[in-house]
Amino acid sequence: MDIRRLEPRDIPLIQHANLENLPENYFMKYYLYHALSWPQLSYVAVDVSRPKKTPYDYPKIVGYVLAKMEEEPSDGVQHGHITSLSVMRTHRRLGIAEKLMRQSQLAMVETFGAQYVSLHVRVSNKAAIHLYTKTLGFDQEKTEPKYYADGEDAHCMRLDLSSIREQIRDAQLDAEDNENDAAAAAAADDDEHADEGEPVGDAGKAEDKKALPNRPKETKRKVKVGRALGVQALVEKDESKHA
Amino acid sequence: MPQPLSSKENSLFRQVIRNYEDKQYKRGLKAAEQILKKNPKHGDTMAMKALIINQQGKTEEAFALGKEALTADMKSHICWHVYGLLYRHQKNFEEAIKAYKFALKLEPESHQIQRDLAFLQIQMRDYQGYIQSRTAMLQARPQLRQNWTALAVAHHLAGNLSQAEKVLTTYEDSLKVPPSKTDYENSEAVMYKNTIIAEMQDYQRALDHLESIAKTNLDRLAVLELRADYLSKLGKKEEAADAYRALLDRNPEHPEYYTKLVEVLGIGADGAAQKAIYDEYAEKNPRCDAAKRLPLDFLVDRELITNLGDDFREAARGYLTLMLDKGVPSTFANLKHLYADQSKRDTLGSLAHEYLESKKASSDGSAPADGDSLNGEPAALYYLAQHYNYHLSRDLAKAMEYVDKGIELLPKNVEFHMTKARIWKHYGNTRKASETMDEARKLDLKDRYINTKAAKYQLRNDENETALKTMGLFTRNDSPGGPLNDLLDMQSVWYLTEDGEAWVRNGNIGLALKRFHAVYNIFDVWQEDQFDFHSFSLRKGQIRAYVDMIRWEDRLREHPFYTRAALGAIAIYVSIYDRSQATNGVNGSEDANGDEAAERKKAAKKAKKEAQKAEREAAERAAKQDPNKSKGAAAEPGKKDDDPLGFKLAATTEPLAEATKFLAPILQFSPKYIDGQIAGFEVFIRREKYLLALRCLNAALALDADHPTVHEQVVRFRQALNSKVESLPPKVAEVLKSKFTIVDDTTDLKKFNASFQEKHKDSPPHVISTVKTERLLGADKTKTEKDLAGVLSLKDASYEHAEEVLAILRQWRSGETDTFKAAAHEKWPEVTAFA
Ligand SMILES: CC(C)(COP(=O)(O)OP(=O)(O)OC[C@H]1O[C@@H](n2cnc3c(N)ncnc32)[C@H](O)[C@@H]1OP(=O)(O)O)[C@@H](O)C(=O)NCCC(=O)NCCS
Repeated sequence: MDIRRLEPRDIPLIQHANLENLPENYFMKYYLYHALSWPQLSYVAVDVSRPKKTPYDYPKIVGYVLAKMEEEPSDGVQHGHITSLSVMRTHRRLGIAEKLMRQSQLAMVETFGAQYVSLHVRVSNKAAIHLYTKTLGFDQEKTEPKYYADGEDAHCMRLDLSSIREQIRDAQLDAEDNENDAAAAAAADDDEHADEGEPVGDAGKAEDKKALPNRPKETKRKVKVGRALGVQALVEKDESKHA
Repeated sequence: MPQPLSSKENSLFRQVIRNYEDKQYKRGLKAAEQILKKNPKHGDTMAMKALIINQQGKTEEAFALGKEALTADMKSHICWHVYGLLYRHQKNFEEAIKAYKFALKLEPESHQIQRDLAFLQIQMRDYQGYIQSRTAMLQARPQLRQNWTALAVAHHLAGNLSQAEKVLTTYEDSLKVPPSKTDYENSEAVMYKNTIIAEMQDYQRALDHLESIAKTNLDRLAVLELRADYLSKLGKKEEAADAYRALLDRNPEHPEYYTKLVEVLGIGADGAAQKAIYDEYAEKNPRCDAAKRLPLDFLVDRELITNLGDDFREAARGYLTLMLDKGVPSTFANLKHLYADQSKRDTLGSLAHEYLESKKASSDGSAPADGDSLNGEPAALYYLAQHYNYHLSRDLAKAMEYVDKGIELLPKNVEFHMTKARIWKHYGNTRKASETMDEARKLDLKDRYINTKAAKYQLRNDENETALKTMGLFTRNDSPGGPLNDLLDMQSVWYLTEDGEAWVRNGNIGLALKRFHAVYNIFDVWQEDQFDFHSFSLRKGQIRAYVDMIRWEDRLREHPFYTRAALGAIAIYVSIYDRSQATNGVNGSEDANGDEAAERKKAAKKAKKEAQKAEREAAERAAKQDPNKSKGAAAEPGKKDDDPLGFKLAATTEPLAEATKFLAPILQFSPKYIDGQIAGFEVFIRREKYLLALRCLNAALALDADHPTVHEQVVRFRQALNSKVESLPPKVAEVLKSKFTIVDDTTDLKKFNASFQEKHKDSPPHVISTVKTERLLGADKTKTEKDLAGVLSLKDASYEHAEEVLAILRQWRSGETDTFKAAAHEKWPEVTAFA
């Protein structure tokens, strides 16, 4: 399995997966509208190990999340919305839906500054509700009666994305720290050189940098110890908070 | 001559335009009539009226009026513009472009005309024209960034990368204040520029540029990915490794990142070092699948070579145990690609057996406590059922054994029933496959996936009506067209194709063509869909995605979805043509199959009855419909299908022209697909287009010189040439002679065929093809029929080969047919086609 961003050429097989899995379907232009308005937000899971049947096989889509930003949010708050999510039955319970959602949520914050993400789910859809509430930490907002064409009610759900925003900010600060440290290290190196007047090899320089202690600058609002956490790890920390 | 109007009429005319723009067609029409009463030959008003009635669905009338308007006032840009819009509406883009150009000549300052022209040009991929238009638009409004970006896109698509970059830079340089950090348009435009630099393969400059914009760019992932790519292309291995690690921290489920990391670290040959990388990420991300599974791709068991140990076996055991313990139903799907390797296949099979034994030993034989859950013993049974059902490790009896054990344990489990249906399918028992998949469906009525599968299996068993009913459980059925209408609206290509193929098998050529045409039309719509995005994307500013889309649309019909439906249609048209030739007495009577024709008639009659019934029901439904909700598809004017059963399609007198229409995109976009070339040959040889037929034949030979059908075509082509060469223009004859070299006109075709047969005597498809060729070359009928039936005793004969033989024997109206069918039934008792 390969989890990556949606590309326009994936659309016929995304549409196919949607038709195969869900009763809410869309014509191609609607997919294009998503792909060309918020290309960062939609992700696909591709079965990369499938043997090719013709020289023109397209990547086999076994799962997708189609997401958007709300164009004119009624509450005036920038937020994302999940238009559609599904995984082929043959590929369920591998964690695909969860990972698709996490990638999309991250991009919603990074690219469009989303504050939260919302979605609708059928009240009878136990698997999806479990995924949203237990695994991803969505809150159930309200129930919308007869939301679906066949008369079923929908739960409206929402996930606050501020923790992702904080992680991004922390990671940025860390990156700045590292840069500043590097700059400080370089300066220190120069001093040493000036003192000793001896050329030092590149490798030696790098070693020296690492050995130097952190020297936080005043400009920093926040000092973090240790390596910058990968976003993935941070997202998972967030999950435990909700679970 | 523009005709002057009185001031009152002038204001009326402005109102017509406003009404048109606001879609108030009735009002607009009324106002237009008012003007025309006094000035019956006022061109502009006539033109606007034409535009309005066109919107009301009266296309032909509109066109006539549009023409009249032009004759009345050749010098009016409005008349020309409208003329262009009418053509545009008919999708005749070339004529529309011409009309717009006239309009623009008369009114060079019109922004609207210029825009309309530009978007048609890019839709038609007239890059030079588009560059001109965009240049003019930029000059008119240089303050708009999108006009700069658009010109850059025009140059980029035309292949002039440096010009594209220059345009973008010129705009950037003109900025007095730097754009804000949340300016998407800017963020995207600079990334777009970066990818253009990279496309010029100037990676150092691309990297430098990227570094300068990286910090504030809103597309984080693109920044990280491009940076990693440039670094590795530039050989900056250490930094590239860090970059790929950063990407893995974000998304450890993207195999390419691992591969690239391994590559830049230079540890591709070192299994242990590679494994360590994956282990590291598996540890960091407990829920990550890729890091645990991917090492199985490269790990090998080395016990045979050295005594270093069973790397693969151990890793596979770990993975399998984890997945089966957890009860992940997709475990097999996730591992089956490893089955290409015989030893891995065997190892996985034996590990699953081991796991099963261990679970059996530890359980007391009672059903698992956890209701319907697929973990532990049932998970192993499920894995093994799929293992033995898979073509590389197939043993259908064993597969059935495991699946039945599983069903015993978990009688309500969808997965086991679904797999059982697949096993029946592989037995060739389409009837039982269809029934079993329907049982699976009934176990989870809420899941559309299983519903879809049930419908598909019904179609494979030629149950068109039942399948549509099954589909109807999940479609929106509120339009009068019922489920089928929803499937058409939602562009359900898979259903239309499978339904068409099933109609072919049922002998209903009209409905089959109907479905294949529907797919063809969907591709037209998909091509047309891009139109609105030429302006939309510039407004949204998502340029890279737009360029991706354009490039994909350029080869839209390369998609296998298209090819499959098109090949279905071509085969029907070819057979329609052959039948018409046979009844015209040109081709002898061999192909005229009385039974088939009678069956077809019967099917058509039945279909007609059903259609009448459907129409009745639809009318009833429509009558019951809530008038408040009439905004649906049903309310669209002029959308009634006047040939719902495809009678008209099937009655075509130009089957080969129709076939060519379907064929052209295949040859253009999928030339390496041998079935397309084979179909091309069949069409062109019937049209006596020998040069084109030869081009297909040579293309096919280049792809697979030993292909059985291509062999047949070679012989047929030689035969045709030998008999036609006299009547061909000398030039053509010459080219054919020089380009068709595999068999020349002195070759003894019988010998040629015999030696091909000798070479492939153990291969059923080749034997089938050479026997057909023998018969074509005049061999004895009884002998060829016996020879063909002999395919049954070949070692590698499968029931699919036997089905093909049966079809040919039927076509030949051979006395062997029944005996062969009985023999095939004995050999493959489960196959529905022999029952
Ligand atoms: C809902 C759906 C998208 C889940 O996809 P998936 O890839 O199987 O989900 P994941 O493997 O990422 O599951 C993540 C978590 O969701 C929950 N979950 C998923 N499927 C579940 C099921 N059948 N029952 C209970 N919980 C389930 C579990 O908590 C799971 O974590 P776990 O495996 O560690 O226990 C998939 O079942 C599907 O496509 N269904 C049909 C279409 C649909 O309903 N879409 C949602 C519309 S709103």
